[in-house]
Amino acid sequence: MDKNQMLERAEIVVGAVDDLPTIPIVATKVLLLLDDPEVSIDEIADLMLTDQVMTARVMKLLNSPVYKPTQEISSLKRALVYLGLRHIRELALTTSVINAFDDTSGALELNFFWEHSFGVGMVSKIIAQKIGYRDFEKAYIAGIIHDLGEVFLSTFLRDPFTEVLEHIKIHPVKLVEAEEKLLGTTHCEIGLSMARKWNFPDSYCDVIAYHHNPGQAKVDPVLCAIVNVADLFCTVRGLNFGGREWICFNLCEEEAWTILMDKYPELAQIDVERFCYELDDAIPDVTALVASIFAPS
Amino acid sequence: MAISDRDFEQLRDFIYNICGMYFHTTKKYFLESRLTRRMEATATKSCQDYFQLLKSPLGSKELNFLMNEITTNETYFFRNVPQLAALENKLLPELVEIKNKMGFRKLRIWSAASSSGEEAYTMAMILLEKRSTLLKDWIIEIVGTDINETVVAQAKEGIYNAYSVRNIPDAYKHKYIREDNGKFILSPEVKKFVTFNKLNLYEDSKMIFMKSFDFIFCANVLIYFDTASKSKVVQHFYNNLQPYGYFFVGQSESLHGVNDKFKTVHFPGGFGYKK
Repeated sequence: MDKNQMLERAEIVVGAVDDLPTIPIVATKVLLLLDDPEVSIDEIADLMLTDQVMTARVMKLLNSPVYKPTQEISSLKRALVYLGLRHIRELALTTSVINAFDDTSGALELNFFWEHSFGVGMVSKIIAQKIGYRDFEKAYIAGIIHDLGEVFLSTFLRDPFTEVLEHIKIHPVKLVEAEEKLLGTTHCEIGLSMARKWNFPDSYCDVIAYHHNPGQAKVDPVLCAIVNVADLFCTVRGLNFGGREWICFNLCEEEAWTILMDKYPELAQIDVERFCYELDDAIPDVTALVASIFAPS
Repeated sequence: MAISDRDFEQLRDFIYNICGMYFHTTKKYFLESRLTRRMEATATKSCQDYFQLLKSPLGSKELNFLMNEITTNETYFFRNVPQLAALENKLLPELVEIKNKMGFRKLRIWSAASSSGEEAYTMAMILLEKRSTLLKDWIIEIVGTDINETVVAQAKEGIYNAYSVRNIPDAYKHKYIREDNGKFILSPEVKKFVTFNKLNLYEDSKMIFMKSFDFIFCANVLIYFDTASKSKVVQHFYNNLQPYGYFFVGQSESLHGVNDKFKTVHFPGGFGYKK
């Protein structure tokens, strides 16, 4: 199906939802404040501290083994200094997104969803570091939010989406293919419509829309390719929505891999087998992080 | 004896680089207990002393002892479930489609370190289930080979203990296994698809006759070979596969740096090598 048609459909679907979660007021204020070139870290810290849930989640995210700070970061201000101003926007977005979707009545278990998302974030960051992609924190956030559309489908299109999940149980096709076939749109377009409503930066909108076909990306095809490869790896190493998605792939036939190899030919040297085994070892960190984010504080 | 994370990582990297087997962090406790046995046997006092021994000129012999301890040589039916699931759900149907188009309805599978036969017979059971559907009117040949004549004889006999059969799904167990006085006897229906022979994977003159396989399995054997032998044997496997065939190693094994012709195909919980 044509991507534009699917996007049109997604916009209708997202537009029809009256109670679409909103980004918390504090996050919106933080984002606005960040547009001011004169802003200081103190001002932002003071504002963020007015939202205890956001502050707690920022601290948990930063101190997790997935993020790996060199030493424990114990105050929000230090966290912001560690991150640098340009990443606060991203963290504010991420924590808000987690807040926005804490409804557990969807078709997908939220824990499985976030385990996949944080896993893809972690692996995106590792790949970015390995290949020398300049902004690996961006890769991390992009990985975390890439499947946002999925949680929308799970929450607001619960019954049709349950059918999609049933479909992939019997048919060996990717989730995104089943969505296209049964819903006439996919989590990519749905995610893009939401991200636009929430004024996400362009490069994140790009990842949300094109992480399954990075060749069509408009802003940063390399970033989309990183997230795509990370997504593939996570899906075959146990972070596959609780075993729901079954995929089989050969890296050298993947468009994303070709995009990365063109730009970073040294990628050919990577020991992919060992990478997978190390990923198995890192998965308990991801599940522990997700458990801690959703644990009642 | 508990070993530090640093020692564990050092030993894990050493084993991986030499043997191509990765030790997951979850198996640290297991590695500790096996390492303790080897340290007692070699009278080494610390993990670092033992590590020095492994790196010394005598190290390759000691490494074999260690690998014997940590691979336990155990085998049982339905051992590598992710691999079997990939084969059954995806790789086999794809291969059958290709061969159907060519009008070549014959499937050949080789269990190249078959031990007492569990892997070869597991494949036989899975394929038997598809005799009336996917593999209707197909010729199926499964070959098991091992260097050890005793285990080849056991494989031909097809009688197992409770441990070997514990992972067989009930539906298969009811159909293909008969229990008699604590022994588990394989049905002739399964046995007739499989032949077993003695074979040394090093023997080039024999290896070149193992032709035209669609799937080859070789789990937990290459880890004992040095890199040059590994490359030679894997090249034989490559040559012996049909153009669209697959080669599988054991869980946690890796062929990185051994052969650059195979393409790695990933599936949930594992990967295989495609020609």
